[in-house]
Amino acid sequence: MEYVSPEGLRLDGRRPMEMRQIRAEIGAVSNADGSAVFEMGNTKVIAAVYGPREVQNRSQQINDQALVRCEYSMANFSTGDRMRKPKGDRRSTEISLVIRQTMEACILTHLMPRSQIDIFVQVLQADGGTRSACINAATLALADAGIPMRDIVTSCSAGFLNSTPLLDLNYVEDSAGGPDVTVGILTKLDKVTLLQMDSKLPMDIFENVMQLAIEGCKAIANYIREVMLENTKELEYRRGI
Amino acid sequence: MGSSGASGNLEGEMEVDAFRRLFPLRFHERHLLESIRPDARPLERARESTVALGAVASADGSAMAKIGHTTMLAAIKMEVMTPSSESPDEGCVAIDFHMPPICSPFVRPGRPAEVAPVIAKQLSDAITSSGMINLKELSLTTGKAAWMAYLDVYCLDADGALFDAALLSAVAAFSHLQIPAVSINEDGRVVTMSREDGDGKLANDPVIKERRKLTLNCILFSLTCILHKKYILADPTAEEESVMETHVTVVLDSSSRLVSLYKPGGPVLAYASAVQDCIALTRHRVKELQKILNEAISDMEVD
Repeated sequence: MEYVSPEGLRLDGRRPMEMRQIRAEIGAVSNADGSAVFEMGNTKVIAAVYGPREVQNRSQQINDQALVRCEYSMANFSTGDRMRKPKGDRRSTEISLVIRQTMEACILTHLMPRSQIDIFVQVLQADGGTRSACINAATLALADAGIPMRDIVTSCSAGFLNSTPLLDLNYVEDSAGGPDVTVGILTKLDKVTLLQMDSKLPMDIFENVMQLAIEGCKAIANYIREVMLENTKELEYRRGI
Repeated sequence: MGSSGASGNLEGEMEVDAFRRLFPLRFHERHLLESIRPDARPLERARESTVALGAVASADGSAMAKIGHTTMLAAIKMEVMTPSSESPDEGCVAIDFHMPPICSPFVRPGRPAEVAPVIAKQLSDAITSSGMINLKELSLTTGKAAWMAYLDVYCLDADGALFDAALLSAVAAFSHLQIPAVSINEDGRVVTMSREDGDGKLANDPVIKERRKLTLNCILFSLTCILHKKYILADPTAEEESVMETHVTVVLDSSSRLVSLYKPGGPVLAYASAVQDCIALTRHRVKELQKILNEAISDMEVD
């Protein structure tokens, strides 16, 4: 099947280096300490952060840093066919672990010992790149909750189909069986915290695809920064500053 | 009794917040004496509610309803199944209610909310017993194929009156639902047709040509009220629900007929007059919700 037409357009009309339209909204869940909705094309994800709060399970309490917990779950209606088991299956457990470790790397946990930070992510619509959308949403939600972080973590995926590196795969391109590289970086520090790849790829092409994903992450980081600034201005305005 | 800062001495925001946390019942009763509530609502007014249809593009019907901060997202997915032998010409509706951990600080992974299965059952009972959906409309071929509609309601933010918001989003999702067009080929298998190839397939007998909407026999609306001493508070927030535990839920349909009444115990015993008052408040609320739902439907149609 042809994923990139001879004119250089993908199945949804994008160019190979073009990302889907992103949209973010802070403060969607009023009950949560911090929350955000993040959309990448048709993938829509909502993240809520509760914390720092008292550790619920005393045996897990860490005396010199905060405990970070994360749960990833997909709504029953999020995928094309209705899902039977939206959480507790292997994929969800793996993605929960990935998100937790990625966010733990950037939260300054030593500032909040003996406490717990819960990050809950719910996928409302899945169209490829849910992992990346969840990490981006979690970053915004943590910022909304005022939890001190080293840097903004953003994530983006890239692939290689029809001999072309493609940025930000959607579900159809992801299921094509080609390689799928997901990268998460700390943007200002320029460090990679998350790197996952499956399928086969020669080393030099891998470097290209990874570089493309990093460019995508940087573009998302710029957008996230704008959204956060907008949100802060709004808060200042409401406070009458 | 109580510290000097506790009895109405409004020296600063901190004192009021502390009083609210330490003596919540007295805080609310102090407001009820003036016939008002902490968010400045009169006792019988419900919070601002909104409905948006088509919130989930990949579902066959969906809606997001907000009552105050309480947010519910309902989506319907249709699948083809074989009908049971007792009712070969009827489809089926399966209703499920979820409270993911994002909705409330008290819900944790591994410890689901106690109230979630209760609301799931209430929703299911209200919708099936009222006959809002004519199951015969969901049939495709008698005895062979029928639609199964899976309705999933997700609570995204829990701030009181969960059942009201869930019912509102469920009803809105059903009004938005469009049954996909299908055709049955020679082996008797049902094939979903996408919008584009509706005209091209000549070999198959199209059973239902176009996407169509369900006709709803009646539309259900509800209101939860809290009873406390001699006061009746309509549409409680989560804080009010945790402090005053007796609640009454009344479900009416669009012609104000009583569909369901639910008072699950509680310290306050209600006389018939209190229940009548709740029903009267619900009747008033039905008119408000009817307007909101009709506006949402006409907004959708304009697009």
